[in-house]
Order: sequence, then C-alpha cells, then structure tokens
Amino acid sequence: MAFYIFKRLLAMIPTLLGVAVLIFILLRVVPGDVVEARFLTQGSQFQSQELMDIERKKLGLDQPMWKQFTTWMGGLARLDFGISMWTGSPITEEIKLRFALSLQLAIMASTIATLLAIPLGILAAVKQDTWVDYAVRVFSIAGLAMPSFWLGILMILTMLIVFKWLPPMVFTPLWVNPWENLAQLIWPALAVGYRYSAVGTRMMRSAMLEVLREDYIRTARAKGLWLKLILSRHALKNAILPVLTIISLEFAFLLGGLVVTEQVFNLNGLGMLFVEGIARRDYTLIQALVMLVATAFLFVNFLVDIAYAWLDPRIRYR
Amino acid sequence: MSTLVRALAVAAGALLAFPSAAQTPRNGGELVFPVPSEPPSYDGHREETFGLIHPIAPFYNTLLRVDPNDRSGTKPYPSVAESWTESQDGKTFTLKIRSGIKFHDGSDLTARDVKASYDKIIFPPPGVGSTRKGQYAVVEKVEAPNPTTVVFRLKQSSGSFIASLLSPYNFIYKADILAKEPNWYEKNIMGSGPFTFVEHVKGSHVVGKKNPNYWDKGKPHLDGFRAIFMSSSSAQVAAVRGERAHIQFRGFTPKDRDTLKGALGDKITVQESAWDCILLVAINHEKKPFDDKRVRRALTLALDRHTGSKALSQIAIVKSVAGVQVPGTPFATPPEELNKLAGYWTDAEKSRAEARRLLREAGVPDGFSFTFKNRGIPMPYEPLGVWMIDQWRQVGLNVKQEVIEAAAYFGVIRKGDFEAAMDFQCGYIVEPDLDMYKFLSSDRNPANYGRYKDPVLDALYDKQSGETNVEKRKQLVRQFEKRVLDDEAHYLMTLQWHRIIPHSSKVKGWTVTPSHYLNNTLDTVWLSE
Repeated sequence: MAFYIFKRLLAMIPTLLGVAVLIFILLRVVPGDVVEARFLTQGSQFQSQELMDIERKKLGLDQPMWKQFTTWMGGLARLDFGISMWTGSPITEEIKLRFALSLQLAIMASTIATLLAIPLGILAAVKQDTWVDYAVRVFSIAGLAMPSFWLGILMILTMLIVFKWLPPMVFTPLWVNPWENLAQLIWPALAVGYRYSAVGTRMMRSAMLEVLREDYIRTARAKGLWLKLILSRHALKNAILPVLTIISLEFAFLLGGLVVTEQVFNLNGLGMLFVEGIARRDYTLIQALVMLVATAFLFVNFLVDIAYAWLDPRIRYR
Repeated sequence: MSTLVRALAVAAGALLAFPSAAQTPRNGGELVFPVPSEPPSYDGHREETFGLIHPIAPFYNTLLRVDPNDRSGTKPYPSVAESWTESQDGKTFTLKIRSGIKFHDGSDLTARDVKASYDKIIFPPPGVGSTRKGQYAVVEKVEAPNPTTVVFRLKQSSGSFIASLLSPYNFIYKADILAKEPNWYEKNIMGSGPFTFVEHVKGSHVVGKKNPNYWDKGKPHLDGFRAIFMSSSSAQVAAVRGERAHIQFRGFTPKDRDTLKGALGDKITVQESAWDCILLVAINHEKKPFDDKRVRRALTLALDRHTGSKALSQIAIVKSVAGVQVPGTPFATPPEELNKLAGYWTDAEKSRAEARRLLREAGVPDGFSFTFKNRGIPMPYEPLGVWMIDQWRQVGLNVKQEVIEAAAYFGVIRKGDFEAAMDFQCGYIVEPDLDMYKFLSSDRNPANYGRYKDPVLDALYDKQSGETNVEKRKQLVRQFEKRVLDDEAHYLMTLQWHRIIPHSSKVKGWTVTPSHYLNNTLDTVWLSE
C-alpha cells in the first residue's frame, strides 16, 4: 500500500508538468494580452505604442516565449508563483484572500450535498416505487434541472421581496464573526449543495438498488437481520463508492468553478478571480490558478482511491 | 417690484435646479456604493478605468476640478489651485496654489508637489508609463517659481488647456515620494483628499474615513465611505433595492431604473444625463469598397437614428442623437443644424433612397455582403449591432455580425483585420480636443481604426484647438464634424449613451454629469438620515 501511495504521488509530477505546458501555450495562443486589456479597452484615444512597450517590458512580455516559460517553471519549482500582471501583487496574496472563502463554501456545499444525497438515496431505494420514492425523485430531478445560479437568484429575490433582507455583501471570516459569515455563505451553499445533492441522490439510489439485489443481502435478510443493520453494515459500504467519487470530484470543482453563483451572491472567490484573470489576460495568475485546481483534482482523486481500499477490502493495490 | 419678482424667480429657479444646495447638509454616516470594476493599481496617472476613480478619487485632490453642481460637467472649479490666469497670447497659464492644504501624512502640499505630479504625467522618467502624456503634448514645461504658484508654458495657444487640467485622474502626489520612487503610488495611497485610506481588501472593498484636517472647512460631510466591488449588475441592483447600498455611480439600464423605482418609490431618486460615451463604427478605408466615400455615406444614411433612439432607449443605455459633442454641452451642434448631416435627416425614407442611389453609383450590387465585427459585451454593443444590421438590410446590404471576445477585441481591430467594426470612445470631460482627437489621421493617432489620412481634417482640428475665441471655435468644430461625419463619412456615430443613476433619496449633494469619471471626490455628498 505504501508503495502504491508513493507511486501515485510520483505520477502526479508528469501530469502537473503537462498541465503547465498546456496552459502556458494556450494562454499565449489566445489573441490579446494584459497590456491591451488594460490600456485599449477604456475608450481612450491617447494610447501610444511607447506606453504599451514600456508596460510589456515591465511584465517581461518582451522576452521570448521559452524564456518566459523557463522563468515561470523556475519559480514553480521554488513554489514561487510570481506576481499578478494585472495588480502587481504577489499571486499567493491574491489567491490566499479568496481561497478561504472558496474552501469554506466548497466544504459547506459538499456537506449539504452529502447530508441530503445519502439518506434520500437510501430511502428512495428502500421504498422503491412508493410515494416516498416518487417524492425523492421529483426533489432530485428538480435539483438537476435547476442551475444553482438560477436558484440563487430566486433565493435573493425571495429574501429581498418577501423578507426585505439581503445577505451581507462583504465576506467576514468565520473566526471573526461566525454569524455574519454564515449569513452570507449559507445561501450559496444551499443553492450549490442542493444541485450537487441531486446528482448524489440519483447515484445513491441506483447503487443501493443494485446492492440490495445482491445475494449476500438476500442471505442477510433470510438470516433475519434487522433492515437498518443490513443497510448500514453491508449495503451502504458497497453502494457508497460511486457517490463518494462524485462528491469528491465535485468538491475539487467547487473550489474554482462557481463563477456564476459567486457573481450572483457577490462572493469574492476563486471562480470570479479565474474569470477576471482570463478577461484581463493575467497570464501568471491564470497559470497559478490552473495549477492549483489541477493539484486539487489530483489530490482528491488520490484520496478517493485510498478511500476505496478502506471501504472495500476486495480492492487491492499493487 | 419687477426687480423683486425677478430676484425671487431666480432664487426659485436655483432651488429647483439644485435642491440639495437648498438644504443644510447633515454630517455623519457612511456612504456605501458598489463599483462594477476594481482598480488594477492605485495610480491615477497610469490607469484609465472608473474602477480606480470611484473608490480612490476621494483620497486625492486635483489641481482644478469640474464644478460639482454643473450638470454639463464642463465648468472649471477651484481645488488645489484657487485661481488661474491666462496670458494674452494664450501660451502661459499661471495658477495660484491654495495655502494650508496638507497631505494625509501632515506635510504641506505646495506648488512643488503640483509640478512633480504634472512632470510625471507629461514628462515621465524612463521606464514609467503615463497614459495621458499624449494629451499634454502642447505643454513645453511646468514651473513652480514659489510655493503658491505653478506656471504651465505651452508650445502654442490652446483653447482646451484649462479643461485638460480638470482630469479626475491627475491626482496631486507628494514630490518627495515621487523623487525617491516614481512608481510608489501604484501600490500606496497618500493624498490630500477629503477622505483618508483605511483598507482595501482585494476583490471585496475599499474603505475611507473622514479627513478631519481637510482644507475645505466643514467638508466632507460623511464620516466615511465603503466602495464594494460587484461585477454582477443584478447584484448591484439588488444591493440598492435591498438598501444595502446607496448609489452606483456608473449607471444602470432603463429596466433597472424602472425596477428600482417600482419597488422603492420615493425612496429612490433618479438622475439622468446624456453620457460622454458613444459607440462608433470604424470603416476600414483600406478595404474595398469602403475606400469609396459614397459607400461610407450610404452606410450612415441608412441609419434612422431618430426612430432608433426612441426604440433603443427603452432597452439599452443609449438615447440622444449626437454629433461629435455630447448634446447639451457648450460645443454641441444644435439639433436643427445636426439634422442636416448625412444620416441625421428626419425623413428616413429620403435618406435611405439617397443611400441606395449612392451604392448604385459606387457600383455596389444589391445584396452586397460584408462582415461587421462587434465586441462581446452585451450592453449596449449587442442591441446597437442588431439595430444597425437591420438598418443596413433596408438599403439592400447583407451584413454578417462577428462577435469577438471583449479583451481581444481592440487587438484585432488595431491590426486592421476588419471591414466595419464597432469602436468606442469615452471621455472624462466633454471637450472638442479630447473628443475629436479620435478622428485624426492614423499617422497622428493609432487609435483611429478607420486607417485613413485626412490632412484637411487634421488642419481643422489644429485650428480649433488653438482658437481661444469660443464662438469661432464652435464654427471650426462644426466644420470638423461635417467633414468627418458627412462629407467624408470617415466614421459613423451610433447613439449617445445615456447615464441613469437611480440612487437612495438619502443621498444629497451629488449631481449627475455626462461623465462617470466626474464628481467622485465625495466631499459635497451627504446623507439625509
């Protein structure tokens, strides 16, 4: 097992290298750069080529591509992501500010999704083709059909029109003021969590139905075991594997992918930073964010694989 | 008696014009406003976005400013300079610097700081970029003969020089700091403005608090302000509607205005103005058949701007039919005269018939097809693009729209890879020199994307720029306008943007102007409760 873990960790390096090369090239293939985005988009008529050249030189964009790439890779090896081409601030500082919010939101949304998906999925499977099953299916299909940002807009309008109240507009860390923090983040967490719970619920239901038809469940029932015990001790452990995969991957996605929901709730998270970075052609920032998200995905995948072995002893790794 | 009646009428008129001025300002409170964009740096001399002006301008003073009560946003008003004089030949401007202004670090602001700030803008040291250097090409040198006098010596007379000193970006920085590190102000804030800097949380907000030592006694009225960065327009509207924010200084759409007014009634006050921003159509003179002025004139004649204005102003942030100056401002062409230009006629059918005739004469076949490049920004690029394509279709042109992503757009257009393309101009003050520079020959201005050279037009520009007599200058501006929009039809104007500010009725002491870069020092603003 230890060798397997070591091998998996080692395999992450070429993957990350591939991502680094790909994102570096892709960004430079797209037309426009940060200097154009900064000085040509505001409708001014006084921009000179001299100014553009000074700014490009300042940012190292006058250097050949290979030199820009080696400088960046050298920094990455020292875990130095450089400075944002747009703000001139260290990238770690730019990301750190948003990471706390995005991480907390991802944890809250994943928790809500898990707490809804697992019991509802089990309930629907156990009560298959009864009104309970139909109700759960309606609830989960509605979740699949509604984009989380749309649900978020509905939530905001309801709070505004019915309760004459809006969530706080500025992020307050949990440790500074838990109430303010939750008052802002619980709504997007519910909107996003519900959406992801729907996928999990559907997956949990079908996995559980499959497991409940297995011979060993029939044997357990024939032995007269209590249903709750059969479900928790024998069925759940096997049925939960695909659900675990989905929720874990969604967690990694939530870290940087909640662009529209962040806009709707005015959250200063990584998703917005990503989109702003792309619109501004902030190469260094986008490169760092892509590396961060790629690492998060690889790491979550790795943890899921380890969890598989723990949940299902039949799985062996070499 | 008649004198008394006239005096009362004038007083009543003044009260109606400036209701906030008639009330006693209340001190206290924090003004909260969303800002749709965040500043890349804090250096006004370097940046060009309202995202810098809205949250950062309250920390600074400028040499002169626009009168905060002037709705045309063009009248010079004292700030750091308390008065100014112009020499007989119009080549020397002497400004008297106010005594007693202190920077937030407690040091005195003198003429030396003004000179250092303007030197950085006009004659930046090697390696320091200045976005407004080209705007002050007429300045030969800046002098500070004593602590209360600044002298600008020009290479030739200029009718617009004082207006160029009203730029809200030209923050006065401390000379000693600039001498040590010219880029210091990119990452630091230290001005002499009505508010002092408290914090900037990146991506979230900027907070300022009242400067108790502000030189303009009794101001500011607010205890502080909080500028919250909010890119989503629906979130901005929700913030005002939910009374979590008082005002958004850039502007809302007509639909947003109606939503807010419908939901909040008298709690919302709406101020509107023609906006000093406009979408133009650049026609590439290097591509056939657009090198033929008959074709370009046909393109502008095809647009029924008067009907378009009525329809589009319901759904987009555009309204007035305009020439090269914002309607209602000193140099704007009166409507009856403007309506004589090609594409501005009130008889749309006659105009379209003329467009068809010109196209036939130029040998352009019916159903001629070309591509119109538009920028990937929904408001107002999208509705205007759709409108123009329909207008051109009505004179037998078959136009395909190609939308290019916003950040890449001007890079593509700059290279000349287009036939006709949407262009954009936005100014901080309505002034012929600033607004007409765009149309100069491409060898004088690389931002002329029409890629033409017109020495006659350039000469007209230079002539009006040096003319200090306002009436004579107006005539020259009219000639320039006729040549660029009608005779040569180098560029096509669409419709003037329309600025709509629905704000909390608690906000007083703020007047809308045509520019969203103006009136953001917040020293005159107060909250009624």
